[in-house]
Amino acid sequence: MHEFSVTSQIVDNILKEAVRHNAERVVQVNLAIGKLTFLGIEQVRFAYKLLVKGTIAEKSKLFIREKDGLVKCSKCGYEGNFKYEDNPIYHVPMPTLKCPKCENTVDIIGGKECTIESIKLVTDKDETK
Amino acid sequence: MKETVKAEEGEVFDIELNIDILKTNQKLAEENRKLLQKNGVKAIDIMGAIGAGKTSLIEKLVETLKTKYRIAAFKGDLTTTIDAEQIARHGAEVVPINTGKECHLDANLVKKALKRLDLTKIDLLFIENVGNLICPAEFPLGSQKRIVIISVTEGPYMVIKHPFIFADADVVVINKTDLAKAMQVDAKKLEENVKTINPKAQVAFTNCRTGEGISTVIEALRL
Repeated sequence: MHEFSVTSQIVDNILKEAVRHNAERVVQVNLAIGKLTFLGIEQVRFAYKLLVKGTIAEKSKLFIREKDGLVKCSKCGYEGNFKYEDNPIYHVPMPTLKCPKCENTVDIIGGKECTIESIKLVTDKDETK
Repeated sequence: MKETVKAEEGEVFDIELNIDILKTNQKLAEENRKLLQKNGVKAIDIMGAIGAGKTSLIEKLVETLKTKYRIAAFKGDLTTTIDAEQIARHGAEVVPINTGKECHLDANLVKKALKRLDLTKIDLLFIENVGNLICPAEFPLGSQKRIVIISVTEGPYMVIKHPFIFADADVVVINKTDLAKAMQVDAKKLEENVKTINPKAQVAFTNCRTGEGISTVIEALRL
């Protein structure tokens, strides 16, 4: 829901990094977005396209890796993906904090990130320029 | 002759960044949490939709607990201090937070509000978020416990339509139970939905007008 403001911070960070490396262009951006954030992938792409217009990242490719929510069970030690309730009424599987192994309550330990993992830059070879 | 194959001009290189955009708020929230803990203040978030009864719940909690604790409250709203004044009437120290156009509080606003209080003179702090069941879940503020309040007048599907905010709740309050029959809403079913998503959340049924059920909320908060 805050895709535009979050994406605008993403673009700011990318451009800052590009300037720091005297880049001519940004060709690729790799993001990782946790499934427990409230960020819609489609909306992030849309905001990105608008925000890079007229910048050196305008033609960059945006790759988004979705990261699963990660939970940990303090009772049986399970660490991994959520258990989902797939009652048809929900249409999308609903995450539940029940441990998939022992039904104990689990704690959320991951899936709330929105990380710029890496970017690919093109720099000008001629440094005297 | 075909077109010459040319190497791309300039040098391409990868840069590892690992910058987490949402971390900025999470870090500020952690700072708030430490500051509150250092001063022995227990902070509790109150989140819920517009009209669910967030302010009424705080009013009743203040009324009941004010002889036991020194209480303060932050009251988030886009504009006005109407609700803030309502809470202040019960004897709590209230800092209104007007977000202007923003749909949620963030850790930075709470940090600013914390500066308005003498934390050494407070034991308990209620932080009422802007009426919204989506955005507040993304922005932790630094509290120790989170209450989500819903009311039966919001209909029978409020929980399953907004599952994510309930995953982070310690206590879920189901309010306006006196209207359940008129609304043809089964409050027990709402509780079941909460327990499916978050089995460790404690559920309390209340009528925040009369104060019915407030003692169960206090118990759930271990106050």
